[in-house]
Amino acid sequence: MITLGIDIGSTTSKCVLLEDGNRIAATALVSAGIGTGGAEEAYRRVLTAAGVDEGAVARKMATGYGRKRWPAADGELSELTAHALGCHYLLPGVRTVIDIGGQDAKVISLDGQGRMSGFVMNDKCAAGTGRFLEVMAGILKVEVGELAAMAARARAPAPVSSTCTVFAESEVISQLANGAAREDVVAGICRSVAARVGALARRAGVREPVCMSGGVAANDGVRRALEEVLGVPVTTFPQAQLAGALGAALWAWQTAEHKEMT
Amino acid sequence: MAEEVKQVRKPPDPNSAKYKLGQIAAKAYTDVIEAKARGEKIGWVSSNFPVEIPETLGIPVCYPENQAAAIAARGGGERLCQEAEGDGYSNDICAYARISLAYAKLGSAPEQDMPLPDFVLCCSNICDCMIKWYENLSRELNIPLIMLDIPFNPDYEVSDAEVAYVKGQFLAAIRQMEELTGKKWTEEKFQEVMKNSCRTSRAWLEATSCAKYTPSPFNGFDLLNHMAVMVTARGKAEAADAMETLLKEYQENHETGKSTFRGEEKYRIMFEGIACWPWLRVTSTGLKSRGINMVTTIYADAFGFIYDDFDGMIRAYCKVPNAINLELARDKRVKLCKANSVEGLLVHVNRSCKLWSGFMNEMSRQIGAECDIPVVSFDGDQADPRNFSEAQYDTRVQGLMEIMEARKGGEGA
Amino acid sequence: MNTQELFETFRDAAAHPKKQLDAYLAAGEKVVLTAPVYVPEEIIHAMGLVPMGAWGADLPLARSKEYFPAFICSIMQSILELGIRGEYDGASAIVIPSLCDSLKCLGENWKYAVPTIPFIPMTYPQNRWGEVGTAFTKAGYERVIADLEKATGAKFDEEKLTASIRVYNRHNDAMRRLAAALPRHPEVTARQRSDLFKSAFFMKKETHTALVEELLGQWGEGSQAGEKVPVMTTGILCDSPALLDIFDELGLRIVADDVAAESRQYRTDTPDGLAPLDALSEKFARMGLCSVLYHPKKERLEYIAKTAKEKGAKGVIVVLTKFCDPEEFDYPLLKKACSATGLPVALVEVDRQMEDFEQARTLLEAFKVMLV
Repeated sequence: MITLGIDIGSTTSKCVLLEDGNRIAATALVSAGIGTGGAEEAYRRVLTAAGVDEGAVARKMATGYGRKRWPAADGELSELTAHALGCHYLLPGVRTVIDIGGQDAKVISLDGQGRMSGFVMNDKCAAGTGRFLEVMAGILKVEVGELAAMAARARAPAPVSSTCTVFAESEVISQLANGAAREDVVAGICRSVAARVGALARRAGVREPVCMSGGVAANDGVRRALEEVLGVPVTTFPQAQLAGALGAALWAWQTAEHKEMT
Repeated sequence: MAEEVKQVRKPPDPNSAKYKLGQIAAKAYTDVIEAKARGEKIGWVSSNFPVEIPETLGIPVCYPENQAAAIAARGGGERLCQEAEGDGYSNDICAYARISLAYAKLGSAPEQDMPLPDFVLCCSNICDCMIKWYENLSRELNIPLIMLDIPFNPDYEVSDAEVAYVKGQFLAAIRQMEELTGKKWTEEKFQEVMKNSCRTSRAWLEATSCAKYTPSPFNGFDLLNHMAVMVTARGKAEAADAMETLLKEYQENHETGKSTFRGEEKYRIMFEGIACWPWLRVTSTGLKSRGINMVTTIYADAFGFIYDDFDGMIRAYCKVPNAINLELARDKRVKLCKANSVEGLLVHVNRSCKLWSGFMNEMSRQIGAECDIPVVSFDGDQADPRNFSEAQYDTRVQGLMEIMEARKGGEGA
Repeated sequence: MNTQELFETFRDAAAHPKKQLDAYLAAGEKVVLTAPVYVPEEIIHAMGLVPMGAWGADLPLARSKEYFPAFICSIMQSILELGIRGEYDGASAIVIPSLCDSLKCLGENWKYAVPTIPFIPMTYPQNRWGEVGTAFTKAGYERVIADLEKATGAKFDEEKLTASIRVYNRHNDAMRRLAAALPRHPEVTARQRSDLFKSAFFMKKETHTALVEELLGQWGEGSQAGEKVPVMTTGILCDSPALLDIFDELGLRIVADDVAAESRQYRTDTPDGLAPLDALSEKFARMGLCSVLYHPKKERLEYIAKTAKEKGAKGVIVVLTKFCDPEEFDYPLLKKACSATGLPVALVEVDRQMEDFEQARTLLEAFKVMLV
């Protein structure tokens, strides 16, 4: 049985095609989120990549902030459960999932059976989210993808402590105006995100193993800073950004009728 | 506190609790408007001020918190908050206070009018923020302020020193109000008010405890509306009648398998915090559409003003929700969760209320552990619509539902 | 010590409370932390314990967020942060008064966040006058005494309290004379001025009094000339070095303050002629002129305007701690009261996590232009 999961986020759309609930057949990632054609594009691409047509997909599940606006879905689930399922598949036994997405950061606790037992999310402010990193990258005139490498070259991370994106923006600007190295400022920004998310994680309770999912997981600067803040190893995987879509595909399989017959 | 705007359906049954409670809530405003027109002195009073005092003295009063909630529920919150911000009030301070201070300046609001006061009665058992708010009302309107200070109690029990302090102020406040209005305190009237207040409270406690039945005979959002009467009118005989009617209806609902919660009750949660009045429909629909019934809130316990004498009354006012320490506040909630088979706790982190939100993280952790239920919070505000995100609310409620479902051993578990 | 050395001593104490704490502990003394805004330090002193102010510090917050939501002021947040991080380790207890909603939450959170340092609540009445009010204040003090005895093993003695009251009244007097002398000394920088007040929270009062009296003796009646623009500050705290440097760089001189951590502490003495605990309760009844102390007429607003005029301040700078309810409620009315007497008012929002004061600089620069 082929199931599909789609994660429609604020800035990206992710799609995963799953065979019999245990083999990833194809994935797609499109840099366009809610309110764009991103979801359709990701859907089309994943079908093409796997060489299957629409009719072959038994069940489709949507997640992410755009989950309710994708008409092709057979159902939807929150990105919390989706990330829990996805990460549990990628890293069996994981107890804490830290997902930093475009608009929010979440820390999900899993029980020994891989079920979500609780979660904590950031408050309305964007500091500590992917959006925060984007704004900061914009100020520094670099791509978000370059931040990790820059942070790795830092000598003395510059303090960026404001809790609010707007204030942090002026802090970063004045750091640069005062002659701080761009690498140091980037490292400071990564640490600031890690500090915010680290506090969330402690509120949820940190149980090892800990993994990171979502787009920001690819930023090694933030991941390492999180390890420092929490004092435990934080692992990630190449498909981290797809964990939500994968979770949705797994959910589609688990909730399919007569799945045992396939 | 504020009636949710609903579509016009069949005319309401005048013998129903809903009709009676609605009438009492509306009368709370009209009585005061009429008194003011007759030239009587009227007051504004904070919601946990002992209603027994103005009621016994026969002094017409109205409640700025209820008014602010009503204004917010009807879409005026942002406008009045911005008015206050224009006068220099930070958008960090309580939105009820911002709305009320703006209203005091403007003198009218189409969403809910209320006559301007000749004096204000403040009780600090809700928060210190209330003192600041009433100081400003008193100064800006140049009218007397009567302040009854009931401090936050860091201990589990109410001390004799606290009772003596509050009692001394009670007596002074009564004298002050007698002088101000020329009205007299009589023991007979007090006995009657006390009797009514206890009768109303008892019916309320019993009615809200009907949530122990599965399914619950009522939708917990009803309580938010009926609360207005508990706040303003619990010393009146009509209120006692109406609450007893409500209790009867809930019991009948249980016996006949009916409920004011529409649809199947799949999950039962406790809601923590003041309602998000500007987003009442959204917050209620987000639960209802998933079969989640908010079966209880601390309000179920908060208005249990049951006492036998003057000192007992004082002790009751020393134990209102925001005046008690974490341990007592926790235990009251744990009791409600256990008595009503609650499966999850949804916490409103209310930007307007520092005291209510300031130790909620720790308290809700302890409640979750003690009751073995998931705890999920969302950001919102009691009256400023700008401090709420529908998408965030929706995701978190869905997350809570998915955990509750998984714990039932449901799909995907 | 010469004047320079005196200022260095104040700076050292103000900037390194942890060093002070460790020195007391090493000397075998027991330290009791005192949270904002008013704690009956006299009682702690009388019991042979060392009171040390705990008003937080300028630092990034991480651990406090496990307990507090984002909209609680950075003073409470940073006190809890320091507690969790172990910066107060070794202290025997913390006394937290009930004077604002966030302080109440600090106490409740403290019990679970920093279980190694006992929380002692000081519940004050807001109707603090008359028999009823002072009796409740006294009951609050008695509770603090009982809790301190339990936490430290120290014993309370009325006679010792009488002596301690004298020590504190003398310190009050020295601090008031200092505040009165400061306008004649424009050579004192804003940071040095802050050090004078801040060090008082960390030093023993006898020591601090002696140093302040020594400085006053060296100053005599003389005065120095200066061209800086005189201003008055008001707020809970005004101790951020970065902000204070801006005052100096712009040529703004603080000639009077209504800052909770500065002059508000020293306005009221404990009266004579009463049993010591009654006298101390009466002192609290006589206090006022503060945003966390209830007053039906808000007399503090006129007091600030009047003081600014008397001290020759050309404007009032409100240093507002973000998320501080009591101060935020008073601000619009304070602005009105000052404007009524022709005093310009500038609002600078601060929090203890701020690294960047460029906005404050721009604002104060423009304000100064208005004043001259």
